Amino acid sequence: MTRSLSQPKPQGYLPHDLLWGFTSAYLPADAPAWVVSALAERPPVVVRRAVGRPGWIAVGVRGKQRDQRFAGWMPVLAVSHCVRPEQLVHSQGWQSLAEADYPVIQALKRVAPVLHQSDWRWGVTGSLGFQLASGIKVIHPASDLDLLLRAPTPLSRLQAQHLLAQMSDVPAAVDVQVQCPHGAVALREWACSTARVLLKSQSGPLLVSDPWAQEAVVA
Amino acid sequence: MQTLSFQFSAGHPAQGRALVGCVGSGDLEVMLEPGTSGTLAIAVVTSVNGGEQRWQQLFQRMFSDQQMPALNITIHDFGATPGVVRLRMEQALEELSHV
Repeated sequence: MTRSLSQPKPQGYLPHDLLWGFTSAYLPADAPAWVVSALAERPPVVVRRAVGRPGWIAVGVRGKQRDQRFAGWMPVLAVSHCVRPEQLVHSQGWQSLAEADYPVIQALKRVAPVLHQSDWRWGVTGSLGFQLASGIKVIHPASDLDLLLRAPTPLSRLQAQHLLAQMSDVPAAVDVQVQCPHGAVALREWACSTARVLLKSQSGPLLVSDPWAQEAVVA
Repeated sequence: MQTLSFQFSAGHPAQGRALVGCVGSGDLEVMLEPGTSGTLAIAVVTSVNGGEQRWQQLFQRMFSDQQMPALNITIHDFGATPGVVRLRMEQALEELSHV
């Protein structure tokens, strides 16, 4: 199990961070039964993209079924551990998984060298990220490969196309979310020629022509 | 997976085609093609079951304040929120007018 000793500062948690310490005590009374049983395994919860009240973090609980996702709120003070998607890249836990022959792992082995050579920090999210961080088995033979690329400064459409081309022809579907300062955009979409792209911002989805422009979000 | 069909009244057929969106959870792909004059036909292929009423209401609200061109719209939905659906439709129509 990968656990970090270094704790981000309170308020410093980012979408896709995995947090430990969420219990059913923080659930509303009308939460579905599957959420309570999922929490019995003491899994991490995933930081969601939502504006929170001070002292609270928007998190998602993952169930066994693909469509089982529960949106909840966690007190910052309840966080006992945090694993960031890029920490999973440093530890390379996928090298020793029992599911080494799954397409999602094979795909990761192919794209990891491409991303290592890029100028950007990157991380593993989605079901594989969850499994690497927690040891709880959730990936299956049809799992997609979900990745995060941190791009605090602009990544050109040409660079996006170049990256995508190097990641094509791998055995699983690869979804790379480019994390810009004010939200995330899909690498595949940024590489296309559409005038505007969908930015998943902290305050909801927006169509923007430049995901790195501040005014796109404030407007 | 289920396919839902919807029909609305429309104007003249649109010119050109457009494809926007992403195949990925929480998102959707929208494909626009010229349709039969007077008809806006929408097919929604979705992984979320039981959403027919929700889509019907969403489209009604979207088209209530504008005359749509005649289009055949195909949507592949991967559990997108109404906000994302609305933006993707807006984006697809925008791309169509750029053709």
